[in-house]
Amino acid sequence: MTAIALSTPGALEGLRALELASPFTQYCGKMLAELGAEVILVEPPGGALVRQIPPFIGGVPGTERSLSYNYFNTSKQGITLDLDTEQGQALFHKLATTVDIVLEGDTPGTMSRRNCDYTRLSAIKPAIVMTSITGFGQTGPWASYEAQDLVALATGGFLYLGGFPDAPPVGAYGNQAFLGAAMYGAVGTLLAVTNMEATGQGDHVDVSMQESMVTALENAVQFYDLEGKVKKRHAGEQRWAGTAVFECKDGYIYMMASGIGANKFWPLSLQWMIDEKIPGVERLMGEEWHQAEYVIQDEAKRIFAEIFGPWCKTQLKKYLFEEGQRRHIPMAAINSVADLLSSPQLAARGFFVDVQHAATGTNLRMPGPPYQLLGTPWRLRGPAPELGQDNEKVYRSMGISGQELTRLAKEGVI
Amino acid sequence: MSVRKPLEGVRVTDFAWIGAGSYSTKILADAGADVIKIESSTRIDSLRLGAPYKDGIKGVNRSGYFADRNSSKRSITVNMKHPQALGLLRRLIEKSDVIANNFTPGVMERFGLGYEAVRNMKPDIIYLGMSMQGSSGPQRHYLGYGSSMASVTGFQQLTGIPGREPAGTGTNYPDHVPNPCHAAFAVLAALRHRRRTGQGQRIDFAQTEPMVALLGPTILDLTVNGHLQDARGNDHDTAAPYGVFGCTGNERWIAICVMNDAQWQKLGAVLGQPAWMQESRWANEVARHAGRVELGERLHAETQGWKAEDLMQALQEQGVPAGVVENAKDVIEWDPQLAHRGHWVPLDHAEMGRTLYNCPPFRFANAAVELTRPAPLMGEHTVEVCRDLVGLDQGEMELLSALGVFE
Repeated sequence: MTAIALSTPGALEGLRALELASPFTQYCGKMLAELGAEVILVEPPGGALVRQIPPFIGGVPGTERSLSYNYFNTSKQGITLDLDTEQGQALFHKLATTVDIVLEGDTPGTMSRRNCDYTRLSAIKPAIVMTSITGFGQTGPWASYEAQDLVALATGGFLYLGGFPDAPPVGAYGNQAFLGAAMYGAVGTLLAVTNMEATGQGDHVDVSMQESMVTALENAVQFYDLEGKVKKRHAGEQRWAGTAVFECKDGYIYMMASGIGANKFWPLSLQWMIDEKIPGVERLMGEEWHQAEYVIQDEAKRIFAEIFGPWCKTQLKKYLFEEGQRRHIPMAAINSVADLLSSPQLAARGFFVDVQHAATGTNLRMPGPPYQLLGTPWRLRGPAPELGQDNEKVYRSMGISGQELTRLAKEGVI
Repeated sequence: MSVRKPLEGVRVTDFAWIGAGSYSTKILADAGADVIKIESSTRIDSLRLGAPYKDGIKGVNRSGYFADRNSSKRSITVNMKHPQALGLLRRLIEKSDVIANNFTPGVMERFGLGYEAVRNMKPDIIYLGMSMQGSSGPQRHYLGYGSSMASVTGFQQLTGIPGREPAGTGTNYPDHVPNPCHAAFAVLAALRHRRRTGQGQRIDFAQTEPMVALLGPTILDLTVNGHLQDARGNDHDTAAPYGVFGCTGNERWIAICVMNDAQWQKLGAVLGQPAWMQESRWANEVARHAGRVELGERLHAETQGWKAEDLMQALQEQGVPAGVVENAKDVIEWDPQLAHRGHWVPLDHAEMGRTLYNCPPFRFANAAVELTRPAPLMGEHTVEVCRDLVGLDQGEMELLSALGVFE
């Protein structure tokens, strides 16, 4: 990393946050930390459950070995604290006076039982912003219900839209519900911080994972509200003639020759097929192919597939992607994760970053900046913390003596 | 108690259109920013022509697809190809804090509104450019939509059933959560930096990069372990049963996620202790996960006789994670939790009448974040914005109108 990058301030410089480790909060905390906030991850003395999420380095579980943990907790400091003890709660109250933000994802009521809910913390520090990210939100008939990722995809209505018509619905890959809630948590937190910095008044932000997934329904709700139609899953089918997944020689591509926002791409797509001398292309030349009412019909989809499909199967993914784009057609390669690592585009943007894993010496190559803020660059501040790594520094800075720290550790408070 | 709108006083000149861009500025608008959408009848936001339409009748002011992601905004029509348009926009930008677009790189430059030009108009501007792959790199000119981003980022390949063509989510997923949230977050951070230092900045946003960032553990599994992950249906890494199971009725399912052995026992109790569930071979999570295909088929037979809503309640009362696979009708008309949170906001629109809008999925104890108006008609606020905000007098308005600048 260059000296210039190190000396540039982060946009969130000066903000300090406590994050109670959880699958709801971890990406939210990472977003804050990598734009400059000081984020302290708080774990129970035995380590947080997020350390047990696979995959693991070398496939071997261990407190420091979860790749999920090591990705979602970069740039944070780490302390241990047992919030289910009175001493731990007293310490947390003291810590809370030193921070601007508290992030938590425990079942509603848990923080209240710990005497660490928003009412209590705001009495100690009125400017505090507390963000609670949970399955269904803090109140309501389902507030105490258990939510996992798939449950939120389901109850958000998002799961119903995914998958093939001849098989049960299939959900989005990779904990998108937890991540969606975390992302909205990050936005909500900064909105509350905006008010706090203007007025001195903090806030409690209540984020629902279910509701976060409802925002992913595209236009399905409007189809029901405005036209009385319930949208269904349609994988394996063309949305419009020429807009679909097509098999190629070494994988798949996603083509958009027609449909929403894409009518202007039909002439370009047709010209490409003519230039490639695809057999039967004359069947696609009629005026009806410019009409939305026609390209939505089964006949149009069948004819397009009969002509484009066989040719596409003889072509390489890379060629189709690059040649389609050269012709200003929104052609997309359906990439594997391996393709990302060899992407010339991501490489040119310096997207992947290398992080040294202290406990094993492993080099962790992982995604870097999701955005480039040119005045206040995204910055990786270091690897995910080892368990209790910053206890000494953080607690000593609160005026707790070395002797006291030893006692707290012995009693299992930290 | 403060009931302040967090972005009160922030103005956005908004060239964003279609999917992710409009959803990003919706978040800002619903939080109180004055978002002024720059449209043109010569270059219509294609979502205005996207189904569904109120009562199924097509029209530029009738699309629900457009309406939902343009709540709380104002709309003016300006033909950017007209030589007089830039002078007008300059006066609007001088009164703005943020300028947003999701064009391919080069389009804003052709309008005379590249970053350097805009910074000359308003030195502390926050300039958000959300192209498909960013403004640098060999593929910077590539274009695409949400489904294209899902494909290029690996997400489409990973979402589906092993051995079948990549399924994806059935939507343009990156447009709806990853990109709007990251873009809004970046703008909020940049606004904070500007409040503290007086400095604006440029945000170069590639719509592929947040989606890849969300796949971090999957990428690490490859870079560290050499293990290339692929689609796996609804399977979980360790837990089983974890999936969707059929219930009574057509296209009715329940999602059930048994995360430990205790929940497995509870599931058996709710289902009336079927004999096969008592077998010791299923008592332990590792064994259940290894035999998850057979387990899923057997469980499917047990859930068939249940109404999904009833089974969800029975399981949740025992602490077993479960949820109805809700369709669009369910989330609007049945779901008691979304109703409690007031998720669906009915707003009265001049042409569409009363229709439903999404509220952002967060609630505040103090701040006021709420939808302030329905989607604008195309050009609904041209006069109001140009006269009251930009400060054009009657003569200038008439001249620009006669010249076709407001088309």
